[in-house]
Amino acid sequence: MKKYFLYPGCSLEASASHYLISVKAIAKPLDLEWVEIEDWNCCGASVSYVGANELQIMVLNARNLALAEAAGGYDIVAPCSSCYVIENKVNRELKANPELMAQVNDILAEAGLSYHGSLEVRHLLDVLYNDVGLDAVKQAVKRPLTGLKVAGYVGCQTTRPFGEYDSVENPRVLDELLAALGAEVVDFPMKMQCCGSGLFLTEMERSMPLVREIIEDAEAHGADVVATACPMCQMNLEIYQGKINKALRTHFRRPIVFISQLMAVAMGLDSNRAGALNRNIVPAKRVIMKALKGAATQVKKPNEEPVVIGRLTPQQQYQAFLDLTAAGDNAQAVYETMKKYRLDPDGVKKIKKAVEEGTLVGPSD
Amino acid sequence: MENDTAAKTVPERGAEGSPAPKKIVKARRAYEPAFAREVFKNVDSGEEIKLCMQCGVCSGSCPLKKEMKYSPRKIFTMIRAGEREMVLSSPDIMLCTSCYRCKVRCPRGIPVIDVMHGLAHYALEQGFEPRHDSAQFGRKFWDNIYKKGRVDETDVAIRYTLADGLVPSIKKGLEMQDLGLQQLLHRRLKILPIRPIRGAKDLKKMLDKAAAAKHGRKA
Repeated sequence: MKKYFLYPGCSLEASASHYLISVKAIAKPLDLEWVEIEDWNCCGASVSYVGANELQIMVLNARNLALAEAAGGYDIVAPCSSCYVIENKVNRELKANPELMAQVNDILAEAGLSYHGSLEVRHLLDVLYNDVGLDAVKQAVKRPLTGLKVAGYVGCQTTRPFGEYDSVENPRVLDELLAALGAEVVDFPMKMQCCGSGLFLTEMERSMPLVREIIEDAEAHGADVVATACPMCQMNLEIYQGKINKALRTHFRRPIVFISQLMAVAMGLDSNRAGALNRNIVPAKRVIMKALKGAATQVKKPNEEPVVIGRLTPQQQYQAFLDLTAAGDNAQAVYETMKKYRLDPDGVKKIKKAVEEGTLVGPSD
Repeated sequence: MENDTAAKTVPERGAEGSPAPKKIVKARRAYEPAFAREVFKNVDSGEEIKLCMQCGVCSGSCPLKKEMKYSPRKIFTMIRAGEREMVLSSPDIMLCTSCYRCKVRCPRGIPVIDVMHGLAHYALEQGFEPRHDSAQFGRKFWDNIYKKGRVDETDVAIRYTLADGLVPSIKKGLEMQDLGLQQLLHRRLKILPIRPIRGAKDLKKMLDKAAAAKHGRKA
């Protein structure tokens, strides 16, 4: 059993309480132990610059580091992306700059604390991916999320700016973890787009278009639910959907869940007590269970029917294949063909595969 | 260099159908380093501006660029040009959502976010208020941390709502009430105020000492 310091942060105590519940619930099946930092304080998030200077924010975070260091030598895990970024930033700067460390320690001494730079601050996804590993996650899955289409929304601060465990431009850790749960991961270009963060409360009309783009894009790529690992993203994408619908004339009712909630469900834990799905404002439980049930009934059917893509007859399919071959690398021509036969990229792949495997043949000549 | 060339605009072509007159804003004076020096000295992370080569990647990467009059790149050059008032009163220095896109893409590695936050902090200190609502919210947020050591989301939201007197408060409150109710129904809101952390008094002392030491990067 590997031990970590859990630094939940203020959001997880209130508006993201379902995140905390599910993070605590998945510890046991994954053979992890969370130890909460005693008497931790807020990291300052990204808006405290209004009232505080840089040194104050350093001291604020150094206090947490010092408390954790005095209580043992485990890594600090922050499920909240903002906590992770700020705590990590301070930790890195202190380690890199001994003079700054001395200055901060001088201030920490007011409370009899000191920090020596022995800890690492890590994001929950980092621990799940690198310490636990995909194989162990797969092993812990008892009820795979087969049939559930999930869009992994990474957001900003989950990987940026450090990129310690994932790419800052093209992240895949979240998607791979979701795939390990058996879910069908849909890729969507907006997964790194900013959700507006703390600006949402004060500048709502400026932030709404950002969220609209994200949800629209996820829906366009067929997502049943959007999964994230940041409390701010979850809140902004979820609770303002009604307001966005009103202001921008959309019809969103898309469940936004934490990856840990999906993990709890996939590990066969109680969806309310462990997964806290009853705390989602846009109901998520029904959507998830419906997708899982649908997949379960589909599996029972014998899977030996000939490939049927949409309503195309085999002749039309073969004609489409010929047209696609003729189009070759010409993107415009390929697009025209796809439009003509109403094919999506998946359909194109299926047709090509069927011809390769010999299940789809042209009229014999 | 002419020291006081006024802002010039291309004379408008009155005829209908001609392309819209384009304003060309010229620098009002030659570069004036006094403000830049002030920024380097007093603004947290202010010295990083020295590295800027005006490539504009930060502006192109900003998710809120289209809401801005002055993009980060322009702000940086305005600092060099000595436009003190324009920079410190510009609402754009407080529009940052901290998405860190500019920071990871900047070819010179400038932490644009830290500079913007530093500038906003300095502007507020100097009596400017680039963005009223954000400033109010930030103040309440920091007050919570300073007094309790943690942020009580409910408390911050209420204080922020009540910050601007009766009429705006009621307006803001009505706008937000359904959100609060939803959160409450789903047990994502605390009704009772949170208690300060045990080390709150010590934390206050430390923060005061850090404030007295002023700009931390000097070490």
